[in-house]
Amino acid sequence: MNSRSLLLSPNPNSLKSRFTKGLLRALSRINKHRQQPRSSREIRKRHRLIKAAAYGSMASSVGNRRAWSRALLWKIRNQTRRGYAATRNIGSSTRQLSMKKRICDLQKGNNSKNRVEVGGLGQVDKLRRLVPGGQVMHTCSLLEETAHYMKCLATQVKVMTRIVEVYNIP
Amino acid sequence: MEKDSNSAAPGWNPSSLMQSNELHCAPQQLPNSYFSANWDNSMDQSDPFESALSSMVSSPAASNAVGATAFPGGEGGGDMIREVIGRLGSICNSGDISSLSYNNSTNNSCYSTPLNSSPPTKLNLSMVDPQMRGNLPVPAPSSHPTLAPFAADPGFVERAARFSSFGNFGGGLNGQFNLNEAELAYRSMLKLDSGKLSRASSNQSLRSQMGGVQESSIKSSSPQDGNAIPDKKFSRFSRSSTPENGELGDSREGSSVSEQIPAGDLSVKAENASNSRKRKTVPRGKAKETSSSPSVKNGKAVTEEQPNAKRSKTDEASGNEKETQKSNKEPNGGSKATKDSSEPVEPPKDYIHVRARRGQATDSHSLAERVRREKISERMKFLQDLVPGCNKVTGKAVMLDEIINYVQSLQRQVEFLSMKLSTVNPRMDLNMEALLSKEILQSQGALQNALYQLDSAVPVSFPFGYQPQQLPALHSNGISNETETQFPVTLNASLTQNSTMQSPAFDRFGGANLQAPQFFEDDLQSMIQMGFGQIEQQSLHGSGASAQMKVEH
Repeated sequence: MNSRSLLLSPNPNSLKSRFTKGLLRALSRINKHRQQPRSSREIRKRHRLIKAAAYGSMASSVGNRRAWSRALLWKIRNQTRRGYAATRNIGSSTRQLSMKKRICDLQKGNNSKNRVEVGGLGQVDKLRRLVPGGQVMHTCSLLEETAHYMKCLATQVKVMTRIVEVYNIP
Repeated sequence: MEKDSNSAAPGWNPSSLMQSNELHCAPQQLPNSYFSANWDNSMDQSDPFESALSSMVSSPAASNAVGATAFPGGEGGGDMIREVIGRLGSICNSGDISSLSYNNSTNNSCYSTPLNSSPPTKLNLSMVDPQMRGNLPVPAPSSHPTLAPFAADPGFVERAARFSSFGNFGGGLNGQFNLNEAELAYRSMLKLDSGKLSRASSNQSLRSQMGGVQESSIKSSSPQDGNAIPDKKFSRFSRSSTPENGELGDSREGSSVSEQIPAGDLSVKAENASNSRKRKTVPRGKAKETSSSPSVKNGKAVTEEQPNAKRSKTDEASGNEKETQKSNKEPNGGSKATKDSSEPVEPPKDYIHVRARRGQATDSHSLAERVRREKISERMKFLQDLVPGCNKVTGKAVMLDEIINYVQSLQRQVEFLSMKLSTVNPRMDLNMEALLSKEILQSQGALQNALYQLDSAVPVSFPFGYQPQQLPALHSNGISNETETQFPVTLNASLTQNSTMQSPAFDRFGGANLQAPQFFEDDLQSMIQMGFGQIEQQSLHGSGASAQMKVEH
């Protein structure tokens, strides 16, 4: 019954392995106490939890090396600490204030120095909203973070589809 | 001398450090060895070090290259670069010390005299370097008079530039490397063996280029070379190729170094270093260097001298921008040979040093913007490789649109999958978790593709509980799959607890199987296959589905 020793993959330390382990652990934790969710509210709640688990385990496996993972971890920690509503309305947290300040400074700096080199039609702003922690990054670091974030998202999708397969969810 | 030994970089560093000064030598020893190790592999930039410090040089080059290569990768490279730079400072110091103490390398012959004259000062300077990194401009100025001999060498300048560029490359050391540090590093480098260093560090191609350029430039106007080459070196700095420095330095040093010994050179060198840094403003160095070299050699340099002199003055007033300007102008105004040689080598796309191409604006702001644009375009290219199907897309706007769409689609997929996962309540025991993880990580591409097709299918109730009914039958068939023994037991235990549909799900399950093959674990599938002996071994789905279908009916 002890199959813990099963090798995970050619590279047990890869991002994918770490993410898989973390996600499965989180999923087992989520599913441990609950029966099959019947009410839609329950399903929604579980959905949120699972989503947070997915992003959280992804960010954890990346660690603190990336700005987006740090921002994501911070957001999820706040989310669990203060409840789901807190993520929507962080309000006057110090970090929010500091972040707002950074955003202002960044925008000011951008306006003065960057002369809309990558302006497009507000695409950079869209990208900032998509990438966690992208509001306070400079454009070039934003692009770098986007690249890594995209790679991790793709891994996340792959692993989660695999899990869905395993569970035989049609 | 022992210092010159290539392999003994770590070895001689400690010795040299010990000799020179007790201040900072000790802590630097480790970094030096690390530094040298890194540099050995990578780049030619380490030329300056390779001289008597050849070992030292090689290691810095290696680290440089590593940092450079790591740049795209991101943080890792930056960290390494910072380390390297820190070490470099120490190495330079040690190099200084060693050279001072030993006065050997033949290459340093031209410098040996001045070196000998002021070894203690140099030692102090080198000692100061590591400290300077963080703080202090004070020691550097004091060392100017003593360092004058070294400043003259253009190779020194390039080394300083390299150092600074290393720091910049890491992106974090700009603040740390102030003029003094660069100067000191430069000086130590210079002392050691500017000629050797430059030779060693430069790339093969660049070296040849530089050699050619050097020859032509030297003949035409040595001062130009002195100015141009350091510039080139600066531009290449981040790129990990400083061949020019090596070659040029060698040829020119002999002649120019002795001549360019004014104290001002030192500041010039420092300025060069700061040029590459592009953060600190060390106007004096570059301007003076350019002016000093032309002054020493005449010819075409005359015209350059004047602008250089003017620039130097303006530099002092302005700062970094001017430096880059000057460096940029020099290639523009310099000899064609140097220019041609530099043209093929595009200015590095980092924010250490930007060289304005011919016909381009040399305004400091535009230079900074150009650096930013180049960085951004580099990142965009990298992103283009990541986003599937964006090879033909050109233009930042379209590319950004694609990127945004792709990220949005990925996020939507994650949301959808999490929704799917939330609808089921699979009981996951510890063993199952391990098995699942193994299963997941061994997933094959075909499965995922098939699954994607199923995403659009209407999710039916999870037939997970369906399995146990088959398992006992399968298990009793005496399947000898070693893994299956564990799995079926676990599965049975977990599944029996499951209250999901059982018989009613048969038809649905069958239907679902037909449309959405169930990708069960290999173990279970093999079990099923063996049990029924009708289903061929497949990597996950088809057999399982068919087997279940058969069982069902």
